[in-house]
Amino acid sequence: MAEVSRRGLLLAVAAGLALLCNIGHSTVAKAPGAATHTVVIEGMQFSPTTLTVKVGDKVTWLNRDLFPHTVTADQHRFDSHAIAAGGSWTFTPKKAGVTSYGCTFHPTMRGTLRVQ
Amino acid sequence: MKRMSILLLASLVTAAAAAAAAAGPNDAQIAAIVVTANQVDIDAGKLAASKSHNTEVKGFAERMITDHTGVNKSAAELVTKLKVTPEDNATAQSLKAGGEKNVENLKGLKGAAFDKAYVAHEVAYHQQVLDAMDQVLIPSAQNAELKALLVKVRPAFEAHLAHAKKIEASLAGKS
Repeated sequence: MAEVSRRGLLLAVAAGLALLCNIGHSTVAKAPGAATHTVVIEGMQFSPTTLTVKVGDKVTWLNRDLFPHTVTADQHRFDSHAIAAGGSWTFTPKKAGVTSYGCTFHPTMRGTLRVQ
Repeated sequence: MKRMSILLLASLVTAAAAAAAAAGPNDAQIAAIVVTANQVDIDAGKLAASKSHNTEVKGFAERMITDHTGVNKSAAELVTKLKVTPEDNATAQSLKAGGEKNVENLKGLKGAAFDKAYVAHEVAYHQQVLDAMDQVLIPSAQNAELKALLVKVRPAFEAHLAHAKKIEASLAGKS
């Protein structure tokens, strides 16, 4: 119950962020079907470790750890820089492909973003 | 010599942890152990961040300061909320004494010798704290929120240990 409402709240927050991010980006397809995905960073892990999305979808990384992390693609296709404890970062992939990423602060943390 | 002092620290912490386990530390004592364990690593990190010239070692030291400060901030908020006053005890004292000894030892070293000694100690220290968490702290914690905090931060100690081991291997390769 609590989990459900918290998830609902997260989705609402993520959707709100997604809306904000869309403003001023006329080049981004308005794609009414674009989805919002959330990757939770907790316990020094990205969860889910591998996430598959479509071009134009929003991906929000939420840092639930007690200290900063980064979401940094191996070839620097994207880089959040430090995401504070309790903070989040949203990225909208514009090209298809598979990108491995990690946290520059903690080399044991690894994740994969598959964009279709 | 260096290995001796690490082994000595390891056995001290283990002995203290075993003694605490037998007596079963209460939540106030666990709080003191957690705060001390983090502070010891912050202090060593501050020395290394200012003294090391190795980018990897410096980066790791800065991470130890940031991460363990974040954990202690949450621990402080929790004890305030629970109205628990951290209570000094043998394990916290041995961690503190070991930390002071380590800093003293490191202050006498420089360059590659400093980096190696700092990182070797970080490997041993994180392993000892993990052992104490698994064998004593997590099993003994009575308050659910205190136990949850310990469980939540455990992966950080594990990741720090792996990170320190990686740097240790890279430093060994350079000499």
